[in-house]
Amino acid sequence: MTVAARFAGMRQASPGRHRSAMAPASAARSRLPVSLVALSAATGVLVAAAAYTAGRLGHASSPWADRAYWLGQALILVPAAVRFLSRRALTDAEAVTVVIVLTVAEYLVKICYSPAAFTYVDELEHWRSTVDILHTGRLFSVNYLLPISAYYPGLEEVTAALVSVTGLSPFTCGVIVAGVAHLLFVCLLYLFFRSVSHSHRLAGIALLCYASNSHFQSFDSMFAYQTLALSFFGLAVAAAWRLSSPQTAGKRAGWVTVAVLAIAATVVTHHITSYMLVATLVVVTLASLISGSWRSAGWPAAMALLSIVAVVGWVVFAAPETVTYLQPTAEAVLQAFRTFFGGGHSSGPSLSAGPLGNRALSGMAVLTVTVLLPVGWWLVWRHHRRDSWTLAMAIGSVGWFGLVAIRLAVANGSQLSGRAATFIFIPVSYVVAVAVAHLIGAAVRWQARVAAAAAMMLVLLLMFDGLANGWPPYWERLPGPHQVAGFERSVGPEEIAAAEWALATLGPGNRFATDFGSYPVLGSYGYQDPVRDDAYLYTSRVFTPADASKASAQSIRYVLVDRRLSQALPVTGQYFRVDPNAGKYTHPLPLADLEKFNHIPGVDRVYDAGNIVIYELAGAAYAP
Amino acid sequence: MRHSQADVVVTATVAILSAAAALVGAPTPVTAVLGIALLAAPGYVWVTILLGSRVAGLERVAVAAGLSLAIPVLGGLALFAAGSGLTRVAWTGLIAEVTLAGDVVLFARRRTGRLAPFAWPPRRRRPPIRHVAAFGAAVVVAVSAVALARVGVALEPRTGFTQLWLTARAGHEHVADVGVRNHQGSTTRYRLVLSRHGGADITWSLTLANGQSWHHAVPDTGANAMTADLYRLPDLGRPYRHVDIGVGAPGP
Repeated sequence: MTVAARFAGMRQASPGRHRSAMAPASAARSRLPVSLVALSAATGVLVAAAAYTAGRLGHASSPWADRAYWLGQALILVPAAVRFLSRRALTDAEAVTVVIVLTVAEYLVKICYSPAAFTYVDELEHWRSTVDILHTGRLFSVNYLLPISAYYPGLEEVTAALVSVTGLSPFTCGVIVAGVAHLLFVCLLYLFFRSVSHSHRLAGIALLCYASNSHFQSFDSMFAYQTLALSFFGLAVAAAWRLSSPQTAGKRAGWVTVAVLAIAATVVTHHITSYMLVATLVVVTLASLISGSWRSAGWPAAMALLSIVAVVGWVVFAAPETVTYLQPTAEAVLQAFRTFFGGGHSSGPSLSAGPLGNRALSGMAVLTVTVLLPVGWWLVWRHHRRDSWTLAMAIGSVGWFGLVAIRLAVANGSQLSGRAATFIFIPVSYVVAVAVAHLIGAAVRWQARVAAAAAMMLVLLLMFDGLANGWPPYWERLPGPHQVAGFERSVGPEEIAAAEWALATLGPGNRFATDFGSYPVLGSYGYQDPVRDDAYLYTSRVFTPADASKASAQSIRYVLVDRRLSQALPVTGQYFRVDPNAGKYTHPLPLADLEKFNHIPGVDRVYDAGNIVIYELAGAAYAP
Repeated sequence: MRHSQADVVVTATVAILSAAAALVGAPTPVTAVLGIALLAAPGYVWVTILLGSRVAGLERVAVAAGLSLAIPVLGGLALFAAGSGLTRVAWTGLIAEVTLAGDVVLFARRRTGRLAPFAWPPRRRRPPIRHVAAFGAAVVVAVSAVALARVGVALEPRTGFTQLWLTARAGHEHVADVGVRNHQGSTTRYRLVLSRHGGADITWSLTLANGQSWHHAVPDTGANAMTADLYRLPDLGRPYRHVDIGVGAPGP
C-alpha cells in the first residue's frame, strides 16, 4: 500500500472525529511489535540502572554515566513514541500495552534511584506518618516535617493496611502503593482521553505529551499523598464522564456510588488535588452549558457541588490548618502576579538556572506547546465545539499560560509551576495531541513521512525536556557520594545514624537546629522537630546574646553541626532551609563558625560521629 | 450454570484465609500473597455489584483497583472515628468484612437474576510465541535492572564512622549514658576514657563488630563535668571522638 493510499484513509477519518485519526483500518502492520517495545523499555531500565550504579561507584560526574542514563531513557521513550506517531496500524490493546510499558518502565527507573530505602524528601515525610500509624494505631499524629499531611492520611492508611495484611516492610508496601496508584492514574487518563477522542491513537499521543510534564516520572509517582489522590481524581473524572454520557442512561446508580467514593477519597487524601477536582468539574459544567449540552451539565454540576461540600466540610471539621498552610503560597503567587502585570520587577528565578542544554530544551518545549495549542483550539472550535468534554479541555488548556507566568513571575516558580503542571497538562496534552494528530493527518504523499517524523521529534523533545528539567535536578541526576546541602544525595548513612540515635537516645519531638541536607532525615528517621530559620547559628564566629535569645525563643534544644558544610558550597545554593544568603555563597562556611559551640560555656557536646556533631543547649542558662 | 459463583467462592476464600493467616501469625511469604489478594478482592467484588458487566477490560480493572484503594482510606477513617485502633487485626477485619459483605450481595443478586452469573472472559487468540518470549525477556531484564540497582547500593563505597555519645539518660536525673557504635565497616578496637572532674578516670577497652554498639550508665550528679575520649586503636595519640557535658559555667 502506498503512502498516498494510506493517507486517503486518514484524510477521510480526520475531520470531525478523531476516531480513526492516523489509523486507517487498511494501514500496514508495524515492524515494531509491542513486545519489542516492552523489551526495549526493559533494556532502557537496565541501562539507566547501570548508570545509577556507576554513579554510586564513584562515576556520578562521568559524562559516560550521564550518557548511559540518557541512552536508557531513549530506549524507553523512542519506541513508545514511534508506535503512537507512526502511520502504521495500532490496535487498542497495543496502545494500552505501550501505555502500561512506558509507565512501568519510568517507575522502575525511579525505583532504581532509591532501591533500598526512601531518599526523596516528600517520601520521607509520608514514610514517617505511615510508621506512626503502624506504631500507634492512630491517625492524625503530629508530623514535624509536613504537619499538614497528618490531616490528609489517605496514602498512609492504604500503606499501613497493606503492611498489616501482608507483613511486608513499609518501604516495600509504599513502593507498591505508589506504583499501583500511579499506573492507575495513567490508565484512567488514557481511558479518559480515549473516551473523549474516540481514538486510542490520539489518546496515546495525548498520554505521551502528558508524560512530558516535569513531574510525571518523579513527584507524580513518589510515595506522596498526591500520587494516590491523583488516582482517585482520575476515577472521579471517569465517573463524571460516564454519568454525563447518554449511553449510561438508566444505569447510573453504580457510577454515582463510584463517584461519591472517589470524591470522598480524594478529599481526605490531598488538599490541592481535591481543589483541582472541583475546578475540573466546574469547567466541565461550564463547557457543557456553552456547548448547549444542558442535560449533560447536570451530573458534573452535581458532582462539583458534592466535592465543594466535602472539601469545605473536611477543611472546617478535620483540617482547619489547611488554610494557614496554603495561605502563604497563595499570597506569594498573587503578589508576584500583581507585581508582574503591574510592570514591576519579577521576583521569579533567573532563567539562567541550570545548564545551557536544559534551558534550551525548556525554551523549545515552551515554544512548541505555545505554538501547538492555538492549532488545537482552532481544530476543537471547528470540529468539536458541540462536544462539552473536548471544549472543557480547550478551556482548561488556557491554564498553560498561567503556568508559564508562574514560572516567570513567582519566586520558586519552577517548583510551583511543576506542581501545577500535573493538572494543567491534562487538558494541555490533549489539545496538543489534537494538533499533532491533525498535522500528521493533513500531510500529503512524501510530506506524510516528514510530518510523522517531525511530530515524533516534537513529542520526544517535550518528553526529554520533562526529564531533563524534572526531578532529581541535574546535579543529582545520578546517585553518588554525599553532597553538601543537597536533596537525595544528602541522605546517607551518617545522617540516618545521627537521626536514629537522636530518636533512640533523646526521644521524639526535640527542637533541632540543622542544615538543609539533614533536615528531612532528622524529621523522618529521627522523628525530631527541625527548625527552618536557623542560619544565624552557623554563619557567625561568635554566639551572641541575641543569638541565644532567638534560639531560646525558637525553643531550640539541640544543634546539629555537619562539618562538611565547611568543605563545599551548597549544590542547592543554600545551606539552610531558610537562608538569607541563598545563592550568594562564594566559599564554604568557615569551620570556626561551625565549631564555636565547642567553646561556649554550658553547651554540651553530646554526640560525635566525625562529620556530624550534636550540641545540647540545655546546660546553658539561655536555653529552653 | 456450573461456575456461576466461582468468583464469589474465590474472593470469600481469600478473605477467610487472610483473616486466619493474620490471626495465627503465618509466615510473611504466605501473608504477602494472601494480603495482596485480600486488598484486591473487595474492588473486584464491588465493581461487579455496582457496574455489572457494563464495563469491561481496562476500565473494569481500573475502577476495581480504585475501589480497592479507596476502601482502606475511607474504612480506616470510619474505624478511627468509631474508636478502634488501626491494628493488623482491624485492617484485616475491615477488608475481609467488606469483601464478604460484597460476596453476600453478589451471591444474592445472582440468585435473583439481577446480575449475570460469573463467566470467564472469552478466550483470545494465543499470541505468537516470539512475542511471549519477548515479553518474558522484558520481565527478566526489568527485574535484573532493579537487582543491579540494589547491588549498586550494597557496593557503594562508604566512609566508615563511629558514633560516640554522652548524655543524661532520659527519665533518670542522676544517670548519664555513654555509648559507642561502630559503623566502620569491620570489627574495630577502641579505648574509651571517661574523665569526671574531681573523680578518677574510667577506661574501657572495646572490640565492636560492624554495627555493634556498647553503652554504659554512669552516675551524674550534675555538679561535675564529664568528658569522654574515644581512641581508635592502635592510635592512642589523639582522641578519635570526643564528647563532654557540664564543661564550663552556664552561658550568658
